[in-house]
Amino acid sequence: MALAIRKSTFSVLATARCIVPREFRSLSSLPETNEDVAQDVAKRSTGRRIRFQNPALEYRHVYPEFLPDPNPKWRNTLREKMERADMLKRRSQIDIPEFYVGSILAVVISDPHAQGKTNRFVGICIERKGCGLRAEFTLRNVVDHQGVEIRYDLYDPTIQSIQIIRLEKRLDDKLFYLRDALPEYSTFSFDMDPEILPEGTPVPVNPVQVKLKPKPWLERWERQELKGVANIEEHLKENDRVRRELRKTPWEKYDLMKQYRKTIPAEDQNEIWGEVHNQLNQLKLSRKKMFKKRPVTTPKTQLA
Amino acid sequence: MATSNMKILCSTLSRLRVDYIPIRQNAFYKPPKYRPPHWFVPKERVMSEDFLTQENRDFIEEIIQDKRNSQIALESPLAHADQQTIEWNPFTRRVGLIARKIGNYPLWSKEGKKYQTTLLQVVDNHVIKYVPPEQFNPMKTTKVQWKEKKTLGCLLVGSETVDPSTVTKEYSGIFNSVGMLPKRHLFRFMVSPHAALPTGTPLFATHFRVGDHIDVRAKTMDRGFQGVMKRWGFSGMPASHGVTKTHRRPGNIGGGGEKARVWPGTKMPGHMGNRWRTLRGVKILRINTKYNILWTLGVAIPGETGAVCYLYDTILPLKKLKTAPPFPTHPASDDLPLEYYDESIHPFEGETILFDEV
Repeated sequence: MALAIRKSTFSVLATARCIVPREFRSLSSLPETNEDVAQDVAKRSTGRRIRFQNPALEYRHVYPEFLPDPNPKWRNTLREKMERADMLKRRSQIDIPEFYVGSILAVVISDPHAQGKTNRFVGICIERKGCGLRAEFTLRNVVDHQGVEIRYDLYDPTIQSIQIIRLEKRLDDKLFYLRDALPEYSTFSFDMDPEILPEGTPVPVNPVQVKLKPKPWLERWERQELKGVANIEEHLKENDRVRRELRKTPWEKYDLMKQYRKTIPAEDQNEIWGEVHNQLNQLKLSRKKMFKKRPVTTPKTQLA
Repeated sequence: MATSNMKILCSTLSRLRVDYIPIRQNAFYKPPKYRPPHWFVPKERVMSEDFLTQENRDFIEEIIQDKRNSQIALESPLAHADQQTIEWNPFTRRVGLIARKIGNYPLWSKEGKKYQTTLLQVVDNHVIKYVPPEQFNPMKTTKVQWKEKKTLGCLLVGSETVDPSTVTKEYSGIFNSVGMLPKRHLFRFMVSPHAALPTGTPLFATHFRVGDHIDVRAKTMDRGFQGVMKRWGFSGMPASHGVTKTHRRPGNIGGGGEKARVWPGTKMPGHMGNRWRTLRGVKILRINTKYNILWTLGVAIPGETGAVCYLYDTILPLKKLKTAPPFPTHPASDDLPLEYYDESIHPFEGETILFDEV
């Protein structure tokens, strides 16, 4: 992400070295790769000290919405501060757990039109976006052979609870391709039992690769360099392959300024995390107390 | 005879004085039309290298700091005035505020509905000067003058104190003459004479109340020279089907016959934005008294983030103030609650919204 964080370990720098030319390394604000994530996780499990030294390393993945939009036109220190204070106020009322794209969640909301005035929905998180109070996530499920997607605002006060059914990541940042995949990949029963990971385990990455239905598709998945799709080549024609080659932008991973503009600098992040660190920690501790008595089950790596 | 005449002549000549010098004047002469108000003086100074020693620099810094501290310590003149004597009535015009737009974010209502809001921060507002209606003599314009205006005084309000060495001497003098430090923004509000405030009165966000409606005047975003599609929302022409070179053009701009010309006011390409616009009837949903922030409903307030805007009580007849607001303004006090919420708004620290079964 940025220099101060990268500097902390030699191993991360070593991965950076193979991608970035030598003269640009000092500016490094690289995108997150899966290797980095894995290394962060490894680091987290090795010792307590590192985590204590740099909470940003952990928090920027767990609480991504606490980082403001990097567009300088929209930045304002005071507004961001008020926004974070409001987010923490809401978090003191409801336990918003750590989850990622690919996790399976159960969300209960108050709905004036529903029977019993509440509505529970279970689904896989296919997208997570937005900064601050605008943060939102989308759940997808297939109910009665009909794909259903619901977008929730993370800080909506009508949300009664967010429960993690299965905490895991997928190979991609967005799972929109599930819309064109076979329905069994996004079908989840509403009475699934929550799987609770033993404490200290890194968040598992589910390496499942989905099978797409034949064309027509909603998007040109072949151009998006997806890792979680198995049979994309089967459905392509020669022309699609040619166009994919023409549309490739292999230079973008070397565009350090582009990455820099998309991210919040480490100095700003330290300030932000320093402000919210204490309260987030307290919320975390109170959550741990609540969940200590739950039974522990091992994570299953299975098809969706 | 000749000598006596000579004497008279000499005496009259000696008494002759040059007192009155007639100036030849053009009978058609008129004074220049543009007569800016006295506070319209150049503000920006050309910064020059003064070659000061570090000691001198420190000294200047110290003096500025002292002045700033003394101004912060200044007590509001309202603290001693008895406010019972003056009363608000629906025809009164109160002073407004100078605010900065600092961004947008959503609030939720108690029914669980999401409202987008704009945050306006009232930074360091102080009354600078009051000009009573008899002395206020604004420049003549071609626009229709409101009769009411002659009964209104003019109240100068400044916001955001700046370093006096960064502005011109003339601009600094406006503030110096009333014992204030120069402000970055200086603006005129027309007020009823009994709503006038003494110099140095601080103005806060609590000048308005939650649930009230305000008018917001600001400069719109500057978009530069734009075509008709962006500027006026024309639909342009098709992308294909034989259309050449006229995809984003306006098409016909006038008819023939008697009106064979371009009519005035025809919508055409041109400069878009950077104009003063007033958004009327904006509801205030929440007020923070510590940072002086107003949350206003909607995202239509002109200008980008960081734009300066002027807030007034609304003039819309149905949204006008019905009960007496803080008059002439809300005095400074320390025992206010941190946040005021409109009754329709759900505070974030409140319990999760539940709907009762009927």
